[in-house]
Amino acid sequence: MSSDYENSDNEYYDDEDDMMLEDEDGSASEMDVDAFDIDYRTSGKDKLKLYEVEYDPLSQRDVEKMMQQDVENISGIFGVDSNIAALLLRHLDWNKEKLIEKYMDNPTAVNTAAGISRPERSAEPPRSSSRSQPSQSLLNLGPRRSSRRPTAEPPKSGKTKIIERISPPVEEPQAFVCPICFDETQTETYSLHCEHRFCTSCWNTYITSKIRTEAEHWVTCMAEDCSLVAPDSFIRKALQEDNSTWNRFQELLVRHFVACNPSLKYCPYPSCTYTVSCPSASSRSSLTTIVPIVTCGASSSHKFCFGCHVDDDHRPVVCGVAKMWLQKCQDDSETANWIKSNTKECSKCQSTIEKNGGCNHMTCKKCKYEFCWVCMGPWSEHGTAWYSCNRYDEKASVDARDAQSKSRASLERYLHYYNRWANHEQSAKLSMELYAKTEKKMDEMQMTSELTWIEVQFMKKAVDEVFKCRMTLKWTYAMAYYLDSGNQKELFEDNQRDLERAVEELSELIESPLEPESIPSLRQKVTDKTVYVQKRNEIVLEDTAKGLLEGRWKWNCSIEGFD
Amino acid sequence: MSGICRARLAEERKQWRKDHPFGFYAKPTKASDGSMNLLEWEVGIPGKATTAWEGGVYKLMMTFPEDYPSKPPKCKFNPPLFHPNVYPSGTVCLSILDEEKSWKPAITIKQVLLGIQELLNDPNVNDPAQSDAYTMFKSVETFASPCVGFDSKLVKTYPSEAACRVYLVSWFVFCSISLTQFTL
Repeated sequence: MSSDYENSDNEYYDDEDDMMLEDEDGSASEMDVDAFDIDYRTSGKDKLKLYEVEYDPLSQRDVEKMMQQDVENISGIFGVDSNIAALLLRHLDWNKEKLIEKYMDNPTAVNTAAGISRPERSAEPPRSSSRSQPSQSLLNLGPRRSSRRPTAEPPKSGKTKIIERISPPVEEPQAFVCPICFDETQTETYSLHCEHRFCTSCWNTYITSKIRTEAEHWVTCMAEDCSLVAPDSFIRKALQEDNSTWNRFQELLVRHFVACNPSLKYCPYPSCTYTVSCPSASSRSSLTTIVPIVTCGASSSHKFCFGCHVDDDHRPVVCGVAKMWLQKCQDDSETANWIKSNTKECSKCQSTIEKNGGCNHMTCKKCKYEFCWVCMGPWSEHGTAWYSCNRYDEKASVDARDAQSKSRASLERYLHYYNRWANHEQSAKLSMELYAKTEKKMDEMQMTSELTWIEVQFMKKAVDEVFKCRMTLKWTYAMAYYLDSGNQKELFEDNQRDLERAVEELSELIESPLEPESIPSLRQKVTDKTVYVQKRNEIVLEDTAKGLLEGRWKWNCSIEGFD
Repeated sequence: MSGICRARLAEERKQWRKDHPFGFYAKPTKASDGSMNLLEWEVGIPGKATTAWEGGVYKLMMTFPEDYPSKPPKCKFNPPLFHPNVYPSGTVCLSILDEEKSWKPAITIKQVLLGIQELLNDPNVNDPAQSDAYTMFKSVETFASPCVGFDSKLVKTYPSEAACRVYLVSWFVFCSISLTQFTL
């Protein structure tokens, strides 16, 4: 496999040979469908690091093929039409085992529930004997103008015919009036096998609105109380030439299939139709040991976490911790800052109190405890010294202050981690500016020295690396906040410190002013440092991932998924 | 779309004039210039005989969206009704009026109105739309069930909605007092 990787390095020189090699290799044969795919598929597979997961980007067509396979499988087992197999599968959320079990048990009940056949009524009207004359008889039913309710018509036991019928153009067009639009000029009608007959344009409008505005992949008959579901072939016919709605319908089907399958996930980026398959992250318990960051096949920027809704690469932190941390930041950070700088706690009931005027004699509104705002000791010892406190060192007040400082310490601790987290996030946000500045510098370097454009790329690489490492660093602070103190945490923080120091040194080098004579040495330093930073980043990610797999990390609070 | 909408409403109007259930009325409103506004109907639903609603005709506005009959009409009691399945605004909460539940394009205005009439005396406790009527209905239901003759008495003596409401409140108060006495 490593040969593929080396080949891709030489891409510029012998592109054609490369492709040949890959083909002979056989391992890459499935990938030459789309040259775009090859790059990060191979790079993803060949150098799979400990902190990476194995996954496959799938296009909508790939997923459709998977669905098709399931449908064919079921249609083969049950000996039914593929349209019906599809409805059955959708009804049971693509759970094949459950479907087979239920269907073998009672096919009629499953068919009824899936909207394939009508529920059988015990008292069937005598007219149902007209089974032998199929669509002709219902054309006669249609023109009865007075019957406004199609459901009022006796149900036909058309069990033998499961697929819809499409009638030939009616010979006497004036005889049929569609009960939806009352347009007498409509000549063509459709009905499902329930024989609730409506004109083609009403069906078209109805199905389009179901698909377009309600995003339904499940379209029932238009008659009241009729729960028959339109199969795909019927929808295709009813939509006529409207290909965009049909495509939307296909997309909805794919989305439903993906939602039912825990090892698939739809790309969350707007209007992206790719799916990612990641079987290793399909169970909730696996999310405590891996961080499944994946990229969909449409673009390398469509990077997301397979396990949670944080749309950011939150490695090395597992989903549960990332979610808790973000929630905490959202709830607490600003409030916490304000509370810290403006309030004190009642030393008896720990209520948070803001003093907005008046003397130092405080009475807690909640527990009515009287105390001094300056020394936090009980007011009873103060006598009548209303505006000054000369008993700062009394034992009671020292105790009160101790208790308070303890509750403050946890806040301090949180703010310590939060400020560093926010700092890295802020720096990452400013990276666009840094990129622009670096570009200018690269231009300048080309002018003042003999370096070519290719040779000054080291600067851009360094900026890329800094950005990447800042993302890692950012999340290590969330992790450290929840890590229980001990040797493991110390080791983790050592790694974090080494990475942070290296990153800061590299950013300093990047941002230092250019001097023409020192450019070669700068280039050397930056290149070295970039490699070093890259290594340190790898170490942090690898070691954390390894710790997760080994269950080495101990948390200081209970985290979703961990016991 | 709007082609179907107006044609269908015109036909509904025709059918209604030809034949409609006793005691009901339904007519499109008139714009200020005297022209007919088919998208908004003024409707009256009579209370069923032998129910608490008997004797009243409850006024309702039906508003049809442009994509009717793909989408259901909105039905709003004016003035709002004291009923577990009627929102404080007067809007009726009924499964056949919900496009994501049982609404079907083939449902006619007549069927909708008969459905609402049915709902008046047969509320759906699983889908409450206002809290006052719902909590009262629930508490009366629990208190009333062991008391023989409660229902028929209520129906016979209190035909109007307001009277029924007063009766229900007093019944509730009576029940709670007697319960406390028993426990004491």
